[in-house]
Amino acid sequence: MTKILFSDKLDNCVERWKSAGLTVIGPVQRANISTYAAVEHASEFDFGLVLPDRSIKDLFFPQSEPMLRYTIKKESIDTDECLPPSGPRIIFGARPCDASGMAIDDPLFGWDYKDEYWFQRRNESVIVTIACTKADDFCMCTSLNMAPDSTKGSDILLRPLAGNKGWLVEELTNRGREAFKTIADILQESSDLPAPLAVVEKKFDLDACVAWLQNPENFESRFWKEISMRCIGCASCTYLCPTCHCFDIQDEGDTYTGIRRKNWDSCSFALFTMHTSGHNPRSTQSARWRQRIMHKFNYFPGKFSVNSCSGCGRCSRQCPVDMGITETLQEISTLSL
Amino acid sequence: MSIEEQYRTRAKELLSGGAVKMVIGYGKGSNASRRRPIFISSADDVERLVLDDACITNLSGYLVSEGLLSDEKRVAVFLRPEGIRAINILAAESQLDADQIVIFGFDVAGNEVKALKGIHVEEFSDVITSIKESAPEAAEEELFEKIEKMSPQERFSFWQEEFSKCIKCYACRQACPMCYCRRCIVDSNQPQWVNTSSHTLGNFEWNIVRAFHLSGRCVECGNCDRACPVNIPLRLINHRMAEEVLGAFDHFAGTSKTQEPVLASFKKDDSETFIL
Ligand code: SF4
Ligand code: SF4
Ligand code: SF4
Ligand code: SF4
Ligand code: SF4
Repeated sequence: MTKILFSDKLDNCVERWKSAGLTVIGPVQRANISTYAAVEHASEFDFGLVLPDRSIKDLFFPQSEPMLRYTIKKESIDTDECLPPSGPRIIFGARPCDASGMAIDDPLFGWDYKDEYWFQRRNESVIVTIACTKADDFCMCTSLNMAPDSTKGSDILLRPLAGNKGWLVEELTNRGREAFKTIADILQESSDLPAPLAVVEKKFDLDACVAWLQNPENFESRFWKEISMRCIGCASCTYLCPTCHCFDIQDEGDTYTGIRRKNWDSCSFALFTMHTSGHNPRSTQSARWRQRIMHKFNYFPGKFSVNSCSGCGRCSRQCPVDMGITETLQEISTLSL
Repeated sequence: MSIEEQYRTRAKELLSGGAVKMVIGYGKGSNASRRRPIFISSADDVERLVLDDACITNLSGYLVSEGLLSDEKRVAVFLRPEGIRAINILAAESQLDADQIVIFGFDVAGNEVKALKGIHVEEFSDVITSIKESAPEAAEEELFEKIEKMSPQERFSFWQEEFSKCIKCYACRQACPMCYCRRCIVDSNQPQWVNTSSHTLGNFEWNIVRAFHLSGRCVECGNCDRACPVNIPLRLINHRMAEEVLGAFDHFAGTSKTQEPVLASFKKDDSETFIL
């Protein structure tokens, strides 16, 4: 016997969590874009999406975040630190590739300096993931050794029952158990079986790709130029990616007073590594694309023992010129044969 | 012979005879409904070229990639009428030499692809004139009209909601053939004209600056709109600005390679005392 959360009881849960002081967040479709956003009622959720257009990263690492306000005076500089808005939240209906993306980035944000903006939000969030029963052409979790029911980064895993009736509940962490205690009496015992998971074919041989990338001879391969010729150098792929984490620190204001912000930045931009002298060590788009791949599948795992990719496929789904990590790794796996 | 086959044959001839060094066209994409830009430099590869109603992207922007045309060799490119207009603008703005561009013109009506006759940009002026005369409607006429009828406050709220979605990925800029500046004004930090942050104000600044820079230059190819990952209806802005410029100056962007840029030219005897 497993515990079941029936769909028609979800609104009661939302009420319960809200009265317990939690902000309830989940997949919604608003203004012609799907995102994870706060809701008042369960009816606002859209569980029909394969996954939201925008990744869950937005909730932990927003595109622009104030860090401090400053005023420059004759003798001194006054600063006033800005901390992220605090308060517990429950993210209901994350996809496995989004939840795991956050776990992938934890070591990065906690490595030499513990990023309090990231960890405050991480510690205050319960992630309730729903396993996928449908996928699209771009989903590639299985190629990254994950699955439509991966539990990495999740506090609760829900397995959908047939006919959108509800979900089987698997409690994974104490944080998850705590949040579900509030709704314990709403859950029901049942012997219903979960609906079949999405079938996501493996698209490439990851080990072969990694071996090719680690071979220093391939750093200058012509492959990089050929594969990236059509890349227009936007940041669509990096900004939608749950695991891309680069940022830039900018002061915004006038000569005397302003605000220091942490803004997303992208290795696809020509300006990303531009030196003040005008020299750019990654002066071509192919060098920048190589960096993105190397970072995700060679440097990052070298340092943190995990690939910086959860297989969500957003990079390929949204690329204006139909490029993306998938195609590149598929090509690399054929090169390494 | 289908147009696709005709164009493959022509590409083969041009490449094998050395008349062009590269053909920029469309190839198969990652699923059945997608096409992607491809760059063919060998006559043996022309079979990779695809031409059908899914070939939408305006490829003209690739022509101004750094160094591509600097050896003075010719490059062939598959273009719809909007792309051909873009070549005229790029030539008029001294970004390329139109003689270096060999055009594989095509248009799509319904799901039928038809070839456009001509090789060099001057030969397509009839096609462009007929588009101007047919006064194309906005892609979503209904929404467009609805916005037109809004009060300034309502319109402001509409765009505020849309722009608040912007993440400053600059895909719109990168996808646009007219956004060829090596250093965009938003990338300049000495002085910093535009906030780099993508908060609502910064997003407004960016999108309004871009709308002005594209007024009288945009060919309504839709590249920016399709590239936007957060679905901001940029096509509505483009169309509004194009109508404005047409109404005020009878200027239809990209009619010829010598067309004077409407907002970047002035006359000493201009009746206005102020120049933007
Ligand atoms: S990539 Fe896998 S986990 Fe992510 S949405 Fe697709 S099926 Fe689900
Ligand atoms: S791969 Fe696509 S989305 Fe990414 S930078 Fe290049 S063009 Fe933009
Ligand atoms: S690299 Fe692509 S597939 Fe991997 S996590 Fe990022 S957006 Fe998803
Ligand atoms: S602004 Fe958009 S529609 Fe206009 S030319 Fe540029 S990409 Fe095309
Ligand atoms: S493509 Fe869309 S999200 Fe990206 S900068 Fe342009 S308007 Fe903003």
